[in-house]
Amino acid sequence: MYIMRFVFFTLLISTSYSALAAKLEYQLIPEKIAEDTWLLQGELQDFTRENGGNIVNTAFIVTEEGVVVFDTGPSKRYGEALREAIRSVTDKAVIHVFNSHHHPDHFLGNQAFTEAKIWALPETGKLIAQHGNAFAENMYRLVGDWMRSTEVQLPTQPLDIDQMPLMQVGKHRLRFIAMSGHAGADLAMLDEATGVLFASDIVFFQRALTTPHTPGLDVWQNDLAELETLSFKLIIPGHGPVDKTGKSLQQMQAYLQWLDQTLTHAAEQGLSMNEAMGLPLDSRFEEIALGRSEFIRTVFHLYSRYEEAAF
Amino acid sequence: MQTIKAAMWRMLIVLGLLFSPLVVASDDPLKSPMWDYLRNVFLGDAPYQFDDRVVVSVPPFAEDPTQVPVTVDTTALSEKIEKIVVWADLNPIQHIYTYYPLKQVAPNISLRIKVQQATPIRAAVLTQQGTWLVGGSYLDAAGGGCTTPSVANASPYWESHLGEISAKKILREDLGRYKFKVIHPMDTGLVDAIPEFYLQQLELRDETGQALLRMELSQPVSENPVFSFDLASELTSNELYHLWLRDNNGNEFEKAL
Repeated sequence: MYIMRFVFFTLLISTSYSALAAKLEYQLIPEKIAEDTWLLQGELQDFTRENGGNIVNTAFIVTEEGVVVFDTGPSKRYGEALREAIRSVTDKAVIHVFNSHHHPDHFLGNQAFTEAKIWALPETGKLIAQHGNAFAENMYRLVGDWMRSTEVQLPTQPLDIDQMPLMQVGKHRLRFIAMSGHAGADLAMLDEATGVLFASDIVFFQRALTTPHTPGLDVWQNDLAELETLSFKLIIPGHGPVDKTGKSLQQMQAYLQWLDQTLTHAAEQGLSMNEAMGLPLDSRFEEIALGRSEFIRTVFHLYSRYEEAAF
Repeated sequence: MQTIKAAMWRMLIVLGLLFSPLVVASDDPLKSPMWDYLRNVFLGDAPYQFDDRVVVSVPPFAEDPTQVPVTVDTTALSEKIEKIVVWADLNPIQHIYTYYPLKQVAPNISLRIKVQQATPIRAAVLTQQGTWLVGGSYLDAAGGGCTTPSVANASPYWESHLGEISAKKILREDLGRYKFKVIHPMDTGLVDAIPEFYLQQLELRDETGQALLRMELSQPVSENPVFSFDLASELTSNELYHLWLRDNNGNEFEKAL
């Protein structure tokens, strides 16, 4: 009897300890959103120690020749989980990887794909080389142990769109669109076979957009106008749910226009940066996640330009 | 005899308690390890109290540690103000500025600062009665603002534009405000091989040359600083105020507003 009780308690204690030391695992379950095309949708959140930085959308296309991956996630661990997720769908090798831009949640999973060609716009490659390590360090600070062993793996193939506007992989014809509104260099990709538009962070949907490296909201608005002209059937935004109606583009345009007007007006009224950060948000955007915190960040990034214009 | 001995013991115990760390634990609402030290540096032994009417506004996080907006608003105070001292507890150079309201101003001051790490930001108001009223806010940050080379250091732009001042006079019904920007590197001296070079003195003067307010600035004030000052009444288009500044190299800058 005593022995039974001893065994029971030992088991209880050991299982509770192992629960405390729960392994950090991204639960990446690929969702089929179009023919041959799979999405891993991130949370509509900021980076936390709970989500491990999985706030980003990554996607892959399974072609006859091999697998094409669009963005690799925030960490080595994520990249490896993405590989596993791909393996659960196909045995084919990953042959092409694209990094849409130089923000850490879009390329720090590259380490898991070193045997593939890793493509990025030439400017994106430069920006990763320049800022990648600082971004990675900041990610360790923000999400902690999820980042273990993550290091910057640079893109290996500069994607010169003038030389190569299209790439045929199996029956998928991929068209590249070079933009700059979000990060200074942003790659969008249209799969002409399926009509899927991989919009990168030019499009956020139901999640407030971020502005740390935007060359200007007007540039971003022009990029969106260009995306609107493409014949797509479905948009995969950089963050947020899949959009089959084009509503995400309208939401982006409306939000950017509101941002621009709000900051212009604030600067003309002589508001200080702190006063501008406290301005009320438009009720049209209430359903968008992280509205207040991203608005504050945007004031940080852009308000001095608006002040400058108002002097 | 017994009772005297007992009384002495009791006194000893009370004295011991008085000087034990438990009893003299800091009264700082922001629980900063630097409070007692910096209180001594900036306020000395003068009486002080924490006061919610001294409002320090900072963002929840220093997204850019080289340009963190700090607003100090003490317009809720009815006491007459001698000066306001503003500092960051955990910056390598703590003092940010001292502000003297001399006439016709409403003490609501905005500018941007550099921070080296997450830190309390303090404003201590010395009233004419000789009491310090202290307010503060905690600013979260990843750090690095004070030891990052100024943008100016990588670009020769400032050399030909040093001290250029852009000004904006805000004529609003509810508010008289001056806002201006000065081109200056504001080098802290904490970056290798870049000596300190920063604006030290500022005055807003009326047409007769009398100052409405005076400021002593320190290295943590951001590069190309943007200041905003409120006046006690609305502005019209008639005021002929001007701004005067001097940096630690003796350069003087002046601009009619």
